[in-house]
Amino acid sequence: MNKWIKIFLILAAMGFIGAAAVYFFVYNKPHTNYEKAKPDFEMTAQALYNAFANSQSEAEQIYNGKIIQIEGSLDSVEEADSLVIAIIAFDQGMFGPEGIRCSMLENHSNTVKQINSGTIVQLKGFCSGFSGTDVILESCSVID
Amino acid sequence: MKKQLITSTLLILLSAGLMAQNYVTRNGYIRFYSEAPLENIEAINRQVSSALNIETGEFVFRVLMRSFNFEKALMQEHFNENYVESHEYPNATFQGSIANLSDVDLTKNGTYNITVDGELTIKNATNKISQPGTLTIAGDQITGKSVFTIKLADYNISIPSAVSRNISEEIEITVDVSLKKM
Repeated sequence: MNKWIKIFLILAAMGFIGAAAVYFFVYNKPHTNYEKAKPDFEMTAQALYNAFANSQSEAEQIYNGKIIQIEGSLDSVEEADSLVIAIIAFDQGMFGPEGIRCSMLENHSNTVKQINSGTIVQLKGFCSGFSGTDVILESCSVID
Repeated sequence: MKKQLITSTLLILLSAGLMAQNYVTRNGYIRFYSEAPLENIEAINRQVSSALNIETGEFVFRVLMRSFNFEKALMQEHFNENYVESHEYPNATFQGSIANLSDVDLTKNGTYNITVDGELTIKNATNKISQPGTLTIAGDQITGKSVFTIKLADYNISIPSAVSRNISEEIEITVDVSLKKM
C-alpha cells in the first residue's frame, strides 16, 4: 500500500477515535456538584425573597439558574415522598408558609431535619425560579 | 406587587367563596418521556404547584421548567437553553376544569374516572387540552393522575434534523399530584 495512503488512514482513524472520545465525555458529562460548587450569590433569605416579590421578571434574569447561598431563620421542614424541603417563611398564604423552599440533597436531608425551627441556617442550592408563591432552591446543602 | 398578580391567578380559580373546598400542593409530580429510535429521554419535576377547587372543578398547575431533572447533564442543558428557553419562558401553566365533576362523589372514598379540559401554555404557546384521568378521594387528600401526549411543534419547540432520531416529536406527559385540603 502506498505510504501516503497508510498515513492518511492512520490519521483518519486517530481523528475518528478522538472525535468519538470527545463526544462520549461531553455526552456523559456529570451534573454540577452543587454541594461543592462556589455560590454565584451569597445573601440573606429575605433579600432573595424580596427580589422576587418586588420584581419577578427582573429577579428571574438575575437569579434563575444560579447557585445561591442564603441565610435565614428555618421555619419548618416538609417531607414529600423521599424529598425533604427546608422552608424559610416570610408570609402565610393559601398554600401555608410561603417564602423560600429548599429541596435538600439526600445526604443533607437528615441534617436539616435535626435543626430546630427558628434556628438561623445557611443553605446553598440551585435557583430554579419563582413558583408563584415561593422561590425554589434545589439540590440544597446545609453550610456548617 | 408582581407576586400578588401571580398569586391572584390561583386565587381567582379558588374564589368560589369563603366556604370553597380548596386542595393544594407544592410538590406535584410531572414526568415527560420521549421515545425515539436512538434513545429514550425522561425528565422528572417534583416541584409542581397545583390547586383544585373541588366545588367548581377548576384547577391550575404551575410548572418551573428548570425543575425538570434529566439523567444526563447535557440533555438538561439543551432542554433549558435550546428547546424550552427557560431563561425567557421560565414557567408552564395548565389551567382548566374537570368536565364531569358530577360523576365524582366527594363524600365517598374511591377512584373516579374524569375528563379534564383546559389550556396548556408552554413557551407562550397555548393549546386546548382535553384528556382522561383519575381522581382518587381518600379523606382530606385528593390524588389526580393523567397520562397524555403533546406535540412539541404545537409549543414552538422545533427539533433540529441532526437530532431528529434522538428526540420524539410527541412527548408523553405523566401527571401525579396529591392535593391536601387547605
